[in-house]
Order: sequence, then structure tokens, then C-alpha cells
Amino acid sequence: MSRRSVGWILGAGVVLFSLIAPLAVTVSPYIMHLAITAFFYAILASSWSLLAGYGGQFSFGHMAFMAIGGYTSGLIGKFVRFTTAPTELCNDFPLFGKWWLVILKPRDVGTIRDTCLDLAKTTVMPQGSLIVTPPVWAGILLGVVMGAVFGLLVGGLVLRLRSTYLALFTIGFSEILRAAISAEIPITEGQSGLEMVSLFPRGVSFLGQTYNAASKIPPYYVMLFLLIFSIVLMAWLTGSRFGLFVRAIREDEEAAAALGVNIVRYKVLIFVVTSTLAAAAGAVQAHYIGIITPNILIILQMSLVISMAVIGGLENIYAAAIGAIIIQFMLELLRTSFDIGPFTIDMSIWRLVFFGLLLMVTLRFQRNGLIAPIFDRLTRSQVQKETVSIRQQPVAIVEDAGETDTAA
Amino acid sequence: MLKLDVNHLHKNFGGLQVLKDVTFSVEGPELIGLIGPNGAGKTTLTNILDGALKPSSGTVYINGQRIDILPPYRVARAGLGRTFQVTRAFRRMTVMENLLVPAMALNMTARRKEFEEKAAGVLDFLTISHLRNEYARALSGGQQKLLELGRLLMLDPDIIILDEPFAGVHPKLMEIIYRYITEVNAQGKAFIIISHDMDTIFTLSKRLLVLNYGDLIADGDPAIVRQDPAVKKAYLGEDEPEAEDTPLPTRMAQRME
Repeated sequence: MSRRSVGWILGAGVVLFSLIAPLAVTVSPYIMHLAITAFFYAILASSWSLLAGYGGQFSFGHMAFMAIGGYTSGLIGKFVRFTTAPTELCNDFPLFGKWWLVILKPRDVGTIRDTCLDLAKTTVMPQGSLIVTPPVWAGILLGVVMGAVFGLLVGGLVLRLRSTYLALFTIGFSEILRAAISAEIPITEGQSGLEMVSLFPRGVSFLGQTYNAASKIPPYYVMLFLLIFSIVLMAWLTGSRFGLFVRAIREDEEAAAALGVNIVRYKVLIFVVTSTLAAAAGAVQAHYIGIITPNILIILQMSLVISMAVIGGLENIYAAAIGAIIIQFMLELLRTSFDIGPFTIDMSIWRLVFFGLLLMVTLRFQRNGLIAPIFDRLTRSQVQKETVSIRQQPVAIVEDAGETDTAA
Repeated sequence: MLKLDVNHLHKNFGGLQVLKDVTFSVEGPELIGLIGPNGAGKTTLTNILDGALKPSSGTVYINGQRIDILPPYRVARAGLGRTFQVTRAFRRMTVMENLLVPAMALNMTARRKEFEEKAAGVLDFLTISHLRNEYARALSGGQQKLLELGRLLMLDPDIIILDEPFAGVHPKLMEIIYRYITEVNAQGKAFIIISHDMDTIFTLSKRLLVLNYGDLIADGDPAIVRQDPAVKKAYLGEDEPEAEDTPLPTRMAQRME
């Protein structure tokens, strides 16, 4: 059996295990929560590795797109309603038939006054008027669309920026977004966070079982399928023209252009694709957690995603995803204390130090990451055999070349 | 028949005039040498033809299509390919992937497999087929030069500009590059070759363009251009025989005028 097929079987085994495990055995809610969060980070780390590793665009704004997804969905849940009668107190927009789109007005800061809709219900609207909150999936979908729109915008703006300048620009973008969200308390609730309805507010039935809104199993599968979808999409992209071109652009933009590659199109496209995936992950995670705060935008969060991708392997989406999952589990499970002689090591604090050390050691001694080389061994073993055997007889090659010369 | 028309090109960088009214045309599979001292404007001219730079004024047409207003990738698709003075292989991609980039950029619908066959032929021609799955960064400098030439074959342009193809190259490799130029030229491609290697450029090219401080001072048969007093004075550093007797500082002053 070739090494490549060993790799495939291993991969299929892991996916199958993650699909079956929560249904086959009872897994503690804590572990389920860890798994969901790990999948969330896996989507972010692998999509960031596509942007930075394949595309060479070291963006520090990835979490911003994630937040755009989450906040868009949250704000739609908070402010958008469909009614069968105008409210007159909120912002009403007529739709088809008797239906109205109602955008609620933000409450004044520091008041607990009712929303305009609550007032309208008792005063303006006729008895029996229907008020419909948009479904969660619609909010998530719009969050994804917003992620794509902002990806297009930022991707277009950073076209001419390279390395350091791109990093600074995206840090700036992320910080501006964080400041704006923190400041607009009437809309976003600022630092106290925007409450989000859970992914399945009325619970869900699935394979004959009914799960309530607090169950971890439905969100586990939503996040797992989102991760699988992202990986499949990115694997297809990297194996296609897109992957070939963005890597060529990463290596040498001018040379790629001189060979016919439309660099503007592909540089913007990679931003759009990766920020869309980040926004999807952000929207789902925010609904799962039930609240979203501007603190997900702090630079430490972004560093965590980058570290996961770097330790896993920057130029390999699978390695980045696996790295993120392993690190997320390790960071949580290492929260125990242990004794070395008279000293007690409190790992809930020290784990981050060890994580930082691991990152530094990886960067210094194993720049390809710790997991990517395994993939290389599985996929490129044949190449080494091919070329090394030929290289071991360099004299013969030169003679060969000479012969073809005289023949020509 | 392929045709390149360069009309009254001017290029200024700030106050510096790098190209002054450069006009020439290429008709059919010509083999042209482009020479000139350092700072003559050779690379600027190449960058304008390739679309990387826009001219201050003047126009460039390939086969009747105006290209000086197009971005580089459109120029490449219109039929102009180039190499760079410093080799620019895609280092962290395999040799095969390097070759696939131009082919797949040119044809957005065909499958990868179809190009791999063509690429294998190109690698054979360049005698580096055993390296097809190696990363380009593992190749020697000379092999990377060959890879760059291979990418051009995959792009399959009508006009090929080579910037210093012989610089720092082993004689064995030089032979391969020489063969590449003559054979590809025989297949109907025009070449513009920039080189400081006088012996090679005089034997290889059928027509010589000489740039000097942005002026196209000569254009014609290499044997005739070689005898042109302006070229001798400006480029080859030879002046009237008696000038040799004047002291060096004076000669330098004269040349700087």
C-alpha cells in the first residue's frame, strides 16, 4: 500500500470517528464544547493558511471578518422583524402583500425603555398582527454575504500593499471595527456583548432523537459540517487553477503577470473566499455561544489563530486545521496543576507560556510547522526517490545532455 | 504574419529622460539583439513592451492590437513573453507547476492533464525532465534559467524578449540556450535578446538595435552596425584612432558630452 493511500485511510478514519463518536457514546458536554470550539478555530486557521500560506497575504484582519459574520447575524436577530401591519413607530418598509419589513430603532443609552415594536404592539398595531423574527439560518447567510462583501472591499484596498504594510493595514481595519463595535452601544451593546439566539431555538429532531436548545450535539454537527465543507472547498480550490495562480502570485507577482495571470482577480478572490469562510464560522459560533463581544477582535485572538496555523503548517490547509484542533484541546486539557518537588505549577496560567515556547521553537527549527511535514512525507516520498537516484549519478546526466546536443 | 510596432516611445522618470522617441518594428520571426551600455534604457523598454510600465507617450501594437494601455497579463495573452534579468522562477512550486502556470492562465477551460503532456515535452527539450517534481528552489541557477525559458514555451507567445539569457551561465548550458533560441526562432517566433555578451549577440542575431541614453542610435545588420561610428563611440568605447592618444580624463569627458 502506498503512503498516499495510508494518508487517505487515516483521514477518512478521523472524519468517520468525529461523525459517529457523539452519537455512539455519551460524550461529556465539556468535551463537546471543546470539540465545537476546536472546529471553529480549525476553520479560521485553515482559511487563514489559505490566505497567508498559499496566497502570501499576511492579514491580521481574519478575526474581523469572523466578527462581521457574527455581528451581522446578531444584529439581524435584534433589529429585523417582519410584520403584517405597519408599526409607525419603527422604520417600516412595505414588502409584498400585507407584509412589512420593520427595522427596530436602537434604545437610548442607559434607559430600559421598551423597543418601538413593544410600544407599537400595544398602541398602533391591530389585534392579531403577526410579528416574525427572521430565522437563524437567514441571519447566518447574510453574515456570510457581509463577510464576502467586506472581503471584496478590503481585498481591493490592499491590492498594492505587501508584507508589513498589508499587516499594518489589516490590524488597523480590525481595530477600527473593534472600536466601532465598542462605541456603538445602542446598536451593538458594546462591551457587554450582543445576545444571540441559540442555533436551534426550538430544539431539533435528528435521527429519531429530539435535542433541546441547550444540547451540544446539533451545534457539534453544524460546526463539523461547516469545517468539512470549508476543507473540501479549499482543497478543491488549491488543487485547481486558483491554487496554482495564487501560489505563483505569492512567489513572484510580476513574473506571474508576465505569464498571463490576472493577478488583481486572484488576489481579491482569495480575500473574498477566506473572509467568507471566516464569517460563516463566526456567525455559527456566535449563535452557539449565545453572545458575541468585541473582545473576539483583540489581537491576542488573532495571534492564537496565526499560531495554530504556524504550528500546524502554514502552507497546508489540512495541517493548519489539525494543528488548531490539537492545540485547542491541549490548551484546555492542560488546565490542571502538577507538582515538581516543592513547586506547584499552575498550568491554567503556565499553559500559555508553554504554548508561546512551542510557537517560538517551531518558528526557529521547524518553519514548515509540526504537522505539514507528515503530509509531505506521505505525498512527496516518490519524488525524492525519483530525483535523488538520478542526482547520485551527475556525470551521466551531463553526458546525456552532450549527446542530445550533438544529435541536434 | 506576426508584427510588433513601437511608435515614438518616450519615458521620463521625474526629470530623467530614459527613452527618447524610440521607434522600430519587428516583422516576422526576426532574431534581434538589443544592446547598449548600462543605463541605456534596455530594461525600461522591455518593461514598457511587457506592460509593467506605461510610456510617457507613444504607442505599441502587436499584430494590430494596441498593448501599451493593457496590464501585463493581457500583454502576455496578446502574444508577448519575456524573461527577467534576475531569474524569477516560482521557487516554492515544482518545476511542473511552474510550467503549468502560463499554460493554464492562457487557456481557462482545458484540464490540467492536457498541459502536463506538453510540459513534459518542453522539459525534454530543455534536458531537465528528471527534475519535473522538484521544487524550483532546489534547482541550480542555470537550471532555473532553463525553467524560465520553458515557461515561455508554455505561454507560446509570438514575440519573446530575453533579458540577459547568457549572463553567468556555464558553457554547456549556454549551448542549450543557444539551441533553444535558434530552434524556437525557426518555428516562427521573433526574439529580442538583450545581452552584454558581444560575441554571442553578434553571431546569433540577424539585426541589432543599439540604445544609448534613451536614443535608438542604430538599427540594422550586425556587421554594418558594428562599423557605425556612433555605435563605436557610444557603446564599444572605440573612438577615432587618434583619440586613443589623448589622455584618459579627456576621453572620458568627451564621451560624457
